[in-house]
Amino acid sequence: MNPIGNQSQVVGNGITRRDVLKGIGAGAALLAAPGFVRYSQAQTSEPIRIGFQCHRTGIGAPYGRWYDRTTAAAVKLINEAGGINGRPIEIVIEDDGTDAARGSEVVEKFVRQHKVDLVYGTLFSHVVVGSAPTAGELKVPYYVVSEGYHVASGKMNRYCVQPGITDVKAQVRSVAPWIANNLGKKVTLVYPDYAFGHDHRDYFAPAIEAQGGQVVAMVPIPPTETSFTRYLPQIPRDTDVIYHVMVGPAVLTFVKELGEFFGNSGPKLFGFIDSLEAVDLKSPGLEFLEGSHFWEGMPRYAQADMPDYEKFYREAIGLDDNGASVNDARDISTAAHMFGCWETLHIIKRSMEACNYQGPQDRQALIEATEAMTEMEAGQEHPQGKKVFDGRIHQVFGEQNISQVKEGRLEVVHRTSIEDGRYEPEGDYTKMSF
Amino acid sequence: MISPALLRQIPVLTFATLAVLNGTAAALAHASNRGHVLLLPTQHYLLGGAIAVAASFLALVLLPPEPFARMMERRKLLFKLPFDGRTAVSSLSFLFFAALVYAGFFGSRDPLANPLPLVIWTLLWVGLTLLHGVFGNLWAWLNPWYGPWRLLVRLGVKESGHASLPAVAGYKPALFLFLCFAWFELIFVAPEDPTILAAAVTVYWLFTFLGCIIFGFEAWTERMEFLSVFLRMISQISPFTAKPFANSNVIWLGWPGSKLMRAKPLPLSGVAFLLLALSSVSFDGFMHTFTWLSVIGINPLEFPGRSVVIAPNSLGLIMMFVALAGLFFAAVWLGEKLVGGKDWRKAAGLLVWPIVPIALAYHFAHYLTALMVDGQYAIASFSDPFFLGWDLFGTAIRHVQAGIVLGSDAAWYIWNAQAAAIIGGHVLAVSLSHLVAWRLHRSARKAALSQVPMALLMIGYTVFGLWLLSTPSIG
Repeated sequence: MNPIGNQSQVVGNGITRRDVLKGIGAGAALLAAPGFVRYSQAQTSEPIRIGFQCHRTGIGAPYGRWYDRTTAAAVKLINEAGGINGRPIEIVIEDDGTDAARGSEVVEKFVRQHKVDLVYGTLFSHVVVGSAPTAGELKVPYYVVSEGYHVASGKMNRYCVQPGITDVKAQVRSVAPWIANNLGKKVTLVYPDYAFGHDHRDYFAPAIEAQGGQVVAMVPIPPTETSFTRYLPQIPRDTDVIYHVMVGPAVLTFVKELGEFFGNSGPKLFGFIDSLEAVDLKSPGLEFLEGSHFWEGMPRYAQADMPDYEKFYREAIGLDDNGASVNDARDISTAAHMFGCWETLHIIKRSMEACNYQGPQDRQALIEATEAMTEMEAGQEHPQGKKVFDGRIHQVFGEQNISQVKEGRLEVVHRTSIEDGRYEPEGDYTKMSF
Repeated sequence: MISPALLRQIPVLTFATLAVLNGTAAALAHASNRGHVLLLPTQHYLLGGAIAVAASFLALVLLPPEPFARMMERRKLLFKLPFDGRTAVSSLSFLFFAALVYAGFFGSRDPLANPLPLVIWTLLWVGLTLLHGVFGNLWAWLNPWYGPWRLLVRLGVKESGHASLPAVAGYKPALFLFLCFAWFELIFVAPEDPTILAAAVTVYWLFTFLGCIIFGFEAWTERMEFLSVFLRMISQISPFTAKPFANSNVIWLGWPGSKLMRAKPLPLSGVAFLLLALSSVSFDGFMHTFTWLSVIGINPLEFPGRSVVIAPNSLGLIMMFVALAGLFFAAVWLGEKLVGGKDWRKAAGLLVWPIVPIALAYHFAHYLTALMVDGQYAIASFSDPFFLGWDLFGTAIRHVQAGIVLGSDAAWYIWNAQAAAIIGGHVLAVSLSHLVAWRLHRSARKAALSQVPMALLMIGYTVFGLWLLSTPSIG
């Protein structure tokens, strides 16, 4: 077992408690006194303070737990390698309660109270959209790991960037060619009838049509619905593929009822793992997914041909072969999203080194350094794969995984190209003033 | 308690919500464990629970109540505690409390690493409440006021206080304070924020301490300090009783709930207090259901956060209390009417005591998973309470086993434990209620008849309780 897998909390100096103890030896904790830890790593400089806007409570908490673990592992790695410009990273966690107003308040606290260099780590769209204006007003870089299209849409501001995770528009577009060529051209969309579902509908329909495919039916389902049998007859008989993006607690019921409706026959299925992130695919009710395909941002299950850097990443965070914690096989990670924390922290490091970041006076230079980034090679810093950053829309583009459920595990069967997901930018942040 | 900064952000939030609705969402509504529960045959449990409570009532109607009442009166002397440790224990508790407040202000900003929110919301509000149901009124010793107050008494402060609390106030002040507490816990945007919580508990500690000085400790904790009132009520279900005797305590063991048989009738404000405690926990479950979110126009798959639902949830909290109190008083009034009872207020004051096992069952069922996971975070936080890199107990880097409540197996076990608690709590309540009614009317026929409306209410609340734990919900 990798000892790193044990760590789940980052202490004041941005390294884990275990490091502190390892560094000062057994029993030396007795010597620890206020102020001791911060300087225990014999760093000559003040740390770089990163405010981690974390979904500790509220509906984002299951994601927050793994964002925290990934952040801890990445910070440990960076600090062990000498930090950024010789300075260690210090993570300051504030809980945003997965609430937009609270998120905005937290950004303000980071700047005014905690004097951080930048704010980082937000996942849920509404918190990002609620916090970004505050980050803009306070002129503090805001590195989000959110997957939404809001950053790329050009509607945020110069300080808000998403360099570590691809956005939903690119994800949806990138899977269309493979679906058309491998599963079939007549697609029925089954989606929850609100913004998230509408995004998939609006991005996917043109993308599949561009591949010579056709959306033969759309089946919007009210968000509060918990039984789906009355909607399933709306799926036309000549459908080749059902593209499903149901989310929420009724997902398992949806899959079960889909299985009961179609039995051993029926169209092929293609889904987004967002529906079942952190849910065991061997759970009762999900049997019908066997053989079906999913988009995955990063593979949850260890793959046979996994490159070494991906193994290193999984080991550093403490993931077992099923994508669960090495300490707790039932605690399944949010694998398709949390890699974004790791990659974002490495991009922050690279950007700070590029602009020789010294302190808050260099915040604009930091954003410009990130905007200037283009290609990012796959490797230890980018374990999810190769990426291209578009500085104009502050958004990164990358390869996506298409995985098939085989014996209750997801096996990657195809990796899309970066070009599959790219689209014309709708804005240009670099033309905005600071 | 909302900071000006937060208030300023409300318009930002509106923008945020609108923007999300305009199609930039990455919805990550988690399938959560409720998804596994939705696949369980929970409707059978709802039916079974209703039948179990109804059958218990019918059995009591058919059986003579005297043997049960006699059985409930039996108790056994366990041992004598040859000292009164209240001052010492409470003083230690005060020091612990002071350290927690320090941690709240100066420790980690992470509510899952700072011991203050973990102790207040998980160990005290959940854990200690459950312990009171089992072991009795531990708060009489553990409260952080008695020790410091004793010190002041030794220095000359009058033990009986300098003024008297007006009798007419009854439990109304505690009722109001509990409502504030429930609002802070359930509705306020950031009750787990260490700084905000440290400020809140400090203000409350000072307020209570001042009250103890002015009106005397006994008077203040009898009817004003809401935790003392609540935990004393909950401890009535415990099989253990501690009787102070000179400078010692005699510990008795009886049947669970037997103390309720001897309890004095509560005034209406006391009845309302207990019903508020139950309704607030019920609302904690209810406000997360798809049903409630639909009513207030919130899409449960993109819950925007607490700040957006402050007004409707505040109203909902009050409405849940009004609904429960209305049904309870109606059931008592109707029951008394059926048997020609003269004093329905006194009947309500006695018949509210059997609600205690239901309140305890709700507490257990609703906070079980929080206790199992956040309890681990609490243990970890004790090793490094001030966030200085300490590892006092070797638990600082403990990997919190969140998986203990995750997955279909855990969902099955937890659901069954919750259902057992809810059904068991109501069966006990209906039984105790019957015995209370018999004590009130001294007639088996009258007791049975007067309890028909109450039994119907309890059957309804059993089904409601099980529904709350099995219906689609967020989080």
